[in-house]
Amino acid sequence: MESPYASEMLNITKRFPGIIANDNITLQLRKGEIHALLGENGAGKSTLMSVLFGLYQAEEGIIKKDGVEVKIKDPNDANALGIGMVHQHFKLVECFTVLDNIIMGVEPVGPLGFLRKKEAREKVLALSKKYGLEVDPDAKIEDITVGMQQRTEILKMLYRDNEILIFDEPTAVLTPQEIVELMQIMRNLAAEGKSILFISHKLAEIMAVADRCTVLRKGKYIGTVNTKDTTMEELSAMMVGRNVNFHVAKKPAQPGEAILEVQHMTVASKTHSNNAVKDVSFTVRRGEIVCIAGIDGNGQSELVYGLTGLEPLTSGKIILEGKDITKASIRKRSTSGMSHIPEDRHKHGLVLDYSLEYNIILQTYFESRFTDRMGFLRRKSIRSYSDKLIDQYDVRSGQGSITSARAMSGGNQQKAIIARELDKQPELLVAVQPTRGLDVGAIEYIHKQLVAQRDAGKGVLLISLELDEVMDVPDRILVMYEGEIVGELDPKKTTQEELGLYMAGAKRDEVRA
Amino acid sequence: MKRLLKRPGVQTFVASIICILLGLLIGYIVLLFINPQGAWQSIMDVIRNFFTWSRPQQQLKQFGNTLAKTIPLIMCSLSILFSYKVGLFNIGTAGQYVAGACASLYAALAWGWGWLPCMLFAIVAASLLGAIVGFLKAYCNVNEVISGIMLNWISLYTANTILSNVKETASPYTLYLNKENPAALLPNVGLDTLFNKNTYVTIAVPLALIIAVLVSIVLNKTRFGYELRATGLNKNASRYAGMAENRNIILTLVISGALAGLGASMLYQTGYMRWECTQSSVPAMGFNGIAAAFLGGLSPIGAIFSSFFIQHITDGGQYVNTNFYSSQISDVISSVIIYLCGFVLFIKLTMNRMLSRSEEKKGGKK
Amino acid sequence: MLLLIQYTLIFASVLLLVALGGCISEHSGIINLGLEGIMVIGALGGALVMSKLSYLPPALMVIIALLAAIALGMLYSCLLGVAAIHFKADQTLVGTAMNLLATAAATVFVKAMNTAANPDNHSSEIEYVAGRKMFIVNINGFEFNWFMPLAIIVVVLVYLFLYKNKLGLRLMACGEHPQAADSVGINVYKMRWMGVLISGALAGMGGLCYILAGVSLWKFENGVAGFGFLALAVMIFGQWKPGRIALAALLFGLFRALSNTYMGFPALVSLNLPSNVYNMMPYIVCLIVLAFTSKTSRAPKAEGIPYDKGSR
Repeated sequence: MESPYASEMLNITKRFPGIIANDNITLQLRKGEIHALLGENGAGKSTLMSVLFGLYQAEEGIIKKDGVEVKIKDPNDANALGIGMVHQHFKLVECFTVLDNIIMGVEPVGPLGFLRKKEAREKVLALSKKYGLEVDPDAKIEDITVGMQQRTEILKMLYRDNEILIFDEPTAVLTPQEIVELMQIMRNLAAEGKSILFISHKLAEIMAVADRCTVLRKGKYIGTVNTKDTTMEELSAMMVGRNVNFHVAKKPAQPGEAILEVQHMTVASKTHSNNAVKDVSFTVRRGEIVCIAGIDGNGQSELVYGLTGLEPLTSGKIILEGKDITKASIRKRSTSGMSHIPEDRHKHGLVLDYSLEYNIILQTYFESRFTDRMGFLRRKSIRSYSDKLIDQYDVRSGQGSITSARAMSGGNQQKAIIARELDKQPELLVAVQPTRGLDVGAIEYIHKQLVAQRDAGKGVLLISLELDEVMDVPDRILVMYEGEIVGELDPKKTTQEELGLYMAGAKRDEVRA
Repeated sequence: MKRLLKRPGVQTFVASIICILLGLLIGYIVLLFINPQGAWQSIMDVIRNFFTWSRPQQQLKQFGNTLAKTIPLIMCSLSILFSYKVGLFNIGTAGQYVAGACASLYAALAWGWGWLPCMLFAIVAASLLGAIVGFLKAYCNVNEVISGIMLNWISLYTANTILSNVKETASPYTLYLNKENPAALLPNVGLDTLFNKNTYVTIAVPLALIIAVLVSIVLNKTRFGYELRATGLNKNASRYAGMAENRNIILTLVISGALAGLGASMLYQTGYMRWECTQSSVPAMGFNGIAAAFLGGLSPIGAIFSSFFIQHITDGGQYVNTNFYSSQISDVISSVIIYLCGFVLFIKLTMNRMLSRSEEKKGGKK
Repeated sequence: MLLLIQYTLIFASVLLLVALGGCISEHSGIINLGLEGIMVIGALGGALVMSKLSYLPPALMVIIALLAAIALGMLYSCLLGVAAIHFKADQTLVGTAMNLLATAAATVFVKAMNTAANPDNHSSEIEYVAGRKMFIVNINGFEFNWFMPLAIIVVVLVYLFLYKNKLGLRLMACGEHPQAADSVGINVYKMRWMGVLISGALAGMGGLCYILAGVSLWKFENGVAGFGFLALAVMIFGQWKPGRIALAALLFGLFRALSNTYMGFPALVSLNLPSNVYNMMPYIVCLIVLAFTSKTSRAPKAEGIPYDKGSR
């Protein structure tokens, strides 16, 4: 008898040093269904999918394909079994064309391995027509939009005649309108008999597109439900283990005078010409949280680089507390009262091989309390200062001040950065995706800290990609689209839908600074 | 014992010893291939170096010679490791050494300067060369290894040209320092008497040791060192923290150059060596500095010992039986050691893994 | 003038071969700073064949010499492959060690060989007068070297390999985005090995070509005078693209050739510059060129970063 399941993962356990990423997890994917895999960051979703895709080997448990037990040792095996995956961070070679990326690994070749691109192109064009996946096969990846890059990834799977398609957080980088398109594509694929695994932590999307949903929490299997028979509240409770109050408690804002004024800022981009910041003006006042919202890659990073001095401005002016800091160095901006929680804590925020105490003083090491007149570090005062902050901000680590930053968990690394940046007593705090990759508890903590800064009369500029955060935390929202600010919204009056239209560039106002 | 093995310093030491032993083993195998008969004798000669002399007096004198050449090697390895801490591979140390030699010899022979001005002049010349590498790296993004190599050759030919003005007419060598300008010789401060009147043992010896300690202090205890190491470990984070990256790159290479130039002056101003104005390859001192720096676990204090070891076996090479072998066998050994230093990370990782595995076993039994 | 063209072409051939080797290695993600050392070892292999087997018919001898240079070059490049691909060693350090080791080992080897043949001979020289003649066709005083057409063929082959062949596509993917390559089932380690071995073969050939340029006797103590690094500069100037590398090689070849032939140009002789100035020329030009081209260089993104299957 033919198995009703396209694939089954039975009692999978996968351990990493010090942590059980998957603990006895079972997931059964029916033929032709869209099956959602729900869980918070770190719940073990990606690990489980990596096991199915052959990137990791499970210590325990078996995988079946069409009812037959199989061994998947590497992506080649997965591919041979008809399993394909769109990774969260696209696995595309930027300087190759769309076509080269699609055929890479399964190139049609003539004698001596010479490529037959004509053949490949015809197949790709046929597929793209059949499923409504519009791409330009000869464009280079670095020149096309994120949406088209994702379609390239989908075509990669279809080109290999994959039957089981894994989508790892596919909507994180898309506009709401692109998300709608993607869901239609997923429905088309399922209708053609493909079986789809859809990894997400966004409840609305799961309810909209999935047939069934399996929930993981902290590496453990919680349950599988039919989406028809459940509610968002129930799914949410399964995901986090308790009913979470999504709303941040805060008093109404009492904005004072302007702390930061940005006038006609233009910043060149190193990667994409369409991402650069174009003639952006806005103001942040004391006692308010202003949030820059937008889909990833619409110039928010460059805006922050320009603001904090990591990149020079092409034109425009930045005024901090009435002083022109357009040409000021990074250090000067920092000492003039600007704190910066960077987007990437490993790239910018920490020196991972330095101890925690050395990371705590990263922005202030040169001050006379840490360095004496001869240029020697004052070890004792560094240690006591670090101990004080660790205590005050509840930064947990194995050996306290002397722990290597590398040995700390992501949440505690982020707390250390926040301790450092807040204890500088900044007048303006620039926080870029401060909650990225953190668990619910840590997120709540950080949001409270942001509100506390606001209530203390400081200015806060928050850059966020998470819709929930954008709706809850700030007092004003500025939406960025293709390097421009296209709208200013009041979070109390707007809706997620309206926000989405701005983020997608479908709606725009003339925004006055 | 286990706790001792866990300390990073001890691990580095063990890894270095493994590299040395393997290097010597490979050297021995090479000798065996060439001629099995005298191989053991010759590898032992390499290891014994000055102890091959029978009379203690002679041994002491030869020891002094090795010491005199160890000094510039220490300086070169300090030069390499200092820049490496900032993430720069200053292979241009070799050329900066040449610049230092050229400056100190020319100042001594053509202008009759005293020893200290000559030494300072060598430092200035070499640090200028380092500044070029730093400038190209900081402002033009030129890979420091390639620009370093190019400058090595440029400085070699420049030195040959300039020093031809102060060479003997009959030979390609520069004039004797002790005859032309004894004031340029480094003072012995009594150290020569300790080494059977070996006048090549000079003030350079204590000076080099002091500088090694100073480098260690600068790197580990000062704000400057904090910045430099942060830059080397995470360039982006150091930029984010407002450290002046370009300034630090250039400053590092200037200091790195200065160390190499000082090293050259510390050898050529003892009168131990003269410059050969027709030489067609860059002196190996700078490159051996790489070996010493890595063998010493990139620690300034470690560099003192590793430098002595490298120089010891390099000098030992001259005692091999030249009827069968050549002295370059020492170069083979030291380059094999550099190669093996590339595996130090792996050796340490394996050690840690073995340690934690044996600990797990113990824990299980309890 | 003819002599200048001859030397320009032969030095350009050397640089071209070696730079293409470096280019393929870097496209696979491994920085090969050991090119210089590989050249020495390749040259040694070729020189041995030329001095010992010169009684063979010319065509056969030429092929065997070439094969020896290629084989030894590939063998020696394994030192880089093992350390950089499997043990995640610092590629700069390993490359440097290879350069030092090559010269030292070649010297020890040749000296031992010479001493064994004649106890009084402690030199590190190999002579190959007859062998060299077989590589060269004399056309009215112009020494045409078979390496010149060979270099052109290799450029074409490398171009076809990188841009028209599936292996080239896969190899470049490993240098740009190894995780992407891995995710479609390409074995990154294998591709990087291929890159390293091809670079070893080409650099070995280049080494042989270098010692054939103007002389019939090579002293191995001298190595190859920074040519491996000049080739890297050629590669950077050529922006990792075979066609542009060929043009860059010609430019650098010209400056290198000047130091051999400037005596033939009255205008240059009348400048009365010391010969060292001409010796320095290629290195100075290289520095200046790099200063202007490095800012915008588009090196393979993942070069120099060890690939670890576990980290994604």
